[in-house]
Amino acid sequence: MHTPARTEPPAPRGPAATRRGPGRVRRRENLPGYLFLSPWLLGLTAITAVPMLLSLYLSFTDYDVLTPLSEARWVGWANYERMFTSDPSYWHAVRVTVTFALIAVPLKLAAALGVALLLNRAFRGVGLFRGLFYLPSLLGGSVALAIVWVSMFNRDGAFNSLLALFGIQGAPWVNDPKWALETLMLLAIWQFGAPMVIFLAGLKQVPAELYEAASVDGAGAWRRFAHITLPMLSPVIFFNLVLETIHGFQGFTSAFVLSNGTGGPVDSTLMYTLNLYINGFVRLDMGYASAMAWVFLLAIGLITVVLFRTGRFWVHYSDSEGH
Amino acid sequence: MRRPLRYAALILIVAVVLYPLVWMVGTSFKSPEEIVNNIGLIPQHVTPGNFTEGWHKFDVGFGRFFLNSAMVSLLTVTGNVVSCLLAAYALGRLRFRLRGVWFAAMIATLLLPGHVLIIPQYILFRNLGWVGGDWPYLPLLVPHFLATEAFFVFLMVQFMRGIPRELDEAAIIDGASPYRIFRHVILPLSRPALVTTAIFSFIWTWNDFFRQLVYLSDLKDYTVPVALTLFIDSTSESAVGPMFAMSLLSLVPVFLFFVAFQRLLVEGINTSGLKG
Amino acid sequence: MSRTTTPRGDARPTRAHRTPPPAAHTSRRRLLAAALTVPLLLGAAACGDDSSGGGKTELSVFWWGAEARAGLTDQALDLYARKHPGVTFKKTWQANQGYFDKLATLTAGGNAPDIFQIDDNYIAEYATRNVTLDLMPYKNDGRLDVSKFPESLWQYGVVDGKLAGVAFGENTQGLVFDKTLLDKHKLPAPTTGMSWDAFIAWAENVSRTTKVPGTQDPSADYKAFWVWLRQQGKDLYKGKELGFTEQDAAAWFELWKGARERGATPTADVIHEGNVTDVSKQLVVTGKAATSWVWANQMPELKKNTADELGVVAYPGDPSAQWARASMYFSVFRGSPHKDVAVDVINFLANDPEAGKILGTDRGLPSNLDVRKQVADSVTDPAMKQSIAVEAELVTEFGPPPVVPLPGHSEVKTELTKAAEEVQYGRQTPAAAATAFHAAAKAAIGQG
Repeated sequence: MHTPARTEPPAPRGPAATRRGPGRVRRRENLPGYLFLSPWLLGLTAITAVPMLLSLYLSFTDYDVLTPLSEARWVGWANYERMFTSDPSYWHAVRVTVTFALIAVPLKLAAALGVALLLNRAFRGVGLFRGLFYLPSLLGGSVALAIVWVSMFNRDGAFNSLLALFGIQGAPWVNDPKWALETLMLLAIWQFGAPMVIFLAGLKQVPAELYEAASVDGAGAWRRFAHITLPMLSPVIFFNLVLETIHGFQGFTSAFVLSNGTGGPVDSTLMYTLNLYINGFVRLDMGYASAMAWVFLLAIGLITVVLFRTGRFWVHYSDSEGH
Repeated sequence: MRRPLRYAALILIVAVVLYPLVWMVGTSFKSPEEIVNNIGLIPQHVTPGNFTEGWHKFDVGFGRFFLNSAMVSLLTVTGNVVSCLLAAYALGRLRFRLRGVWFAAMIATLLLPGHVLIIPQYILFRNLGWVGGDWPYLPLLVPHFLATEAFFVFLMVQFMRGIPRELDEAAIIDGASPYRIFRHVILPLSRPALVTTAIFSFIWTWNDFFRQLVYLSDLKDYTVPVALTLFIDSTSESAVGPMFAMSLLSLVPVFLFFVAFQRLLVEGINTSGLKG
Repeated sequence: MSRTTTPRGDARPTRAHRTPPPAAHTSRRRLLAAALTVPLLLGAAACGDDSSGGGKTELSVFWWGAEARAGLTDQALDLYARKHPGVTFKKTWQANQGYFDKLATLTAGGNAPDIFQIDDNYIAEYATRNVTLDLMPYKNDGRLDVSKFPESLWQYGVVDGKLAGVAFGENTQGLVFDKTLLDKHKLPAPTTGMSWDAFIAWAENVSRTTKVPGTQDPSADYKAFWVWLRQQGKDLYKGKELGFTEQDAAAWFELWKGARERGATPTADVIHEGNVTDVSKQLVVTGKAATSWVWANQMPELKKNTADELGVVAYPGDPSAQWARASMYFSVFRGSPHKDVAVDVINFLANDPEAGKILGTDRGLPSNLDVRKQVADSVTDPAMKQSIAVEAELVTEFGPPPVVPLPGHSEVKTELTKAAEEVQYGRQTPAAAATAFHAAAKAAIGQG
């Protein structure tokens, strides 16, 4: 719950990478398949599935945490109805979360890609630079980080001193409902270390011959980037996009620590999962919180599917047929 | 880009990105009064007091918390690497009945917000008798040995799909069993996936707060993230200086872990080849 | 998690020990419920029962606080253990962040600590769900002695006629001001009993003279709102309902809107900073306002973080609207296998002079008046002396306590903050914010 943000999405490979050549050998591998899968299956059935199904069940009950679970009262679809019809703060949180994800995710990916491009050469101290850029992500969502961020972005914080150098009068950022969400986005963007590492890995894959050939043809730096780097990198961009999107929507920790768990000022940083937490643990309405979680699962699942679908149009896989 | 320009750009960006951290370092060397009254970067009087105070603040020294965290993190890394690798090999490379269903189930477990699972899981673990034993880390560790961290399974599946199929097929024609293929083809080529998993699971576990808070109840069992929260009780006392000092110290192991492995990571992905 | 030796075969009403709904229920959802809970409950039957066989009793104790409180509580519990061989303690402490999350989780798992600390934000939640043991029988037969407590203090632990917790520490609202700043500008200090209007005029004057805003705006602060309501003959809660109307809330927001317009308070963003910050960074400490609205026993911690001299008086208006508030309680888990011992431990911590001396004023003024006197005489910290003096002065004027905040109180607090800030940031009129707040607060406490 107060776990640090999972900033690190994994590396590369698109779904289409699973396409196999036509000449592959077909055989059934039921026994070895289930043998290798058995630890995971045991974990799924014994550890993951029971709590998940229980939370699904609780989403149809009025469960207040302190009353024994077996006495949770069945309420049918009431929790779901309430969410969709009579809880304005639910929809407010949805808006906040969508805004956050739509802005922060692309900017974070852009920052990660930009720095990765700068670091994609062998030069003295490149390892150190990578480490330094990764440092903010290591801080996760700690209390220390929250204190630092609030100090940087209040009325007399360092950020406003910086703006003052350019003659700009700053706002009280974190303490201003008009700007608090933007401050939160900036925090997310600041922790761009993980996608950066994955971009770096991806950039390494682009064959140098392609650049050489392009230079011979007289292509400039921008054309080389647009016509070689971007397409060759698209599977990695795609993966970072999918995982950062999921992560952006699930964003909890930084919103929690920055607002002291309230989502304030005046709900301006009330992210979906923070709202869920408040309902479950502060208001002790875990049935409702569970319903929110399952709606979230469906919504985010849908978004993931849509991303995969659109990926077919712009993600370029070098191993796909006919290439 | 020309070299000096690159350095200038990098140093400028690093300066901006690291400013908050540098400020944290500066603050950790301030006295308590200065922390409240001097919000500047540089302490007027540099004092290491926060480090010594933070280290010895509790009945149990901070060294113990570091050891506990290191143990939990390393065991988690081991569990994740081994169990997720096995599951990923099955889901990514083998063909068996219901594979698609299991894969979808794995993805689904990734999407449910964790908050609603805390209580059901606690009840479950307690009834399994894992909670509050002499060794309280069971509920934190056992799940990782059963590949419940779907994220890493997914990650490794994606990596494995990048290993050319032709290698398996050649091996199959040579009469190799799936076990031999795993041992001699997949395992050696999965090093980047394993390294990535190791890095990410180490860092996340090192920073994980709430699960560790729920299952650990004795000061001597506390881990670094749990111990760090002890410094600030917003209703009574808050020792910001020592907390900053210990937070900075807690960054050192993860930073070193990352720097040591980043080379392996980046090179590793390279060798596996995005070529397909 | 708290007991190393677990009970076997005992029918104590621990949460997870309930049998699942009878299979006779034919409806599908019942079956579903049973199917889901059975595997969870199976284990429970296996981990069995009481340990007192060997004459050893281990009690788990759980509290929040900083390191200083941990040290003192440790010592006091050790003292009990020395006097009662055979009793040992499993002590767990943490800061308040995550405390109630963990307590709720443990409770849901049927594994709440035998003795736990709680405050008036949550005591009704736990009491109405029968998590806490009713201590009234213990009080009546003398095993729990509250006879030396101020009457109103122990009564502030009564929920629905049951004694849900024993007050550990008395506390009351305190208005803390920066004495150094006022003296420097030859300004008078605020006084106990001054009217709200007089106070706001005073603050306005301070702002004008010192260029430091005269007072933090307390309109988002439930304890200030509460005192003010009681002075209007209203209350935060009456019975099971809200004790105020929409108009009351609007008048409260209006009062502070006026104060802001007169420049008596800081700007909205600074007010918000003061609302969310922890005690060590209250505006009076950071120099962003000349007065802050706190609990009187927080004086020493405030003082630690500023070089300026601080003073403390009651909130404005008639001080008899304030009451002896239990700063926190110790409660006993109803499912504890060692209820009697647990109550005895609490009784000891509250009444034993030696234990009282160890615990000091860390949780507030000791509840037992004899212990309090003894502790007060030996206090050396000047800031603590000040808060004791104010409390001692006010105690003669305290009125009867209000009802303990109802379940849903923490949400009411959140909603008040939200509504007040909507007005502070100029996004809503006092009337509109009051309407929204009143409706949300009503819903939060489940009032029809």
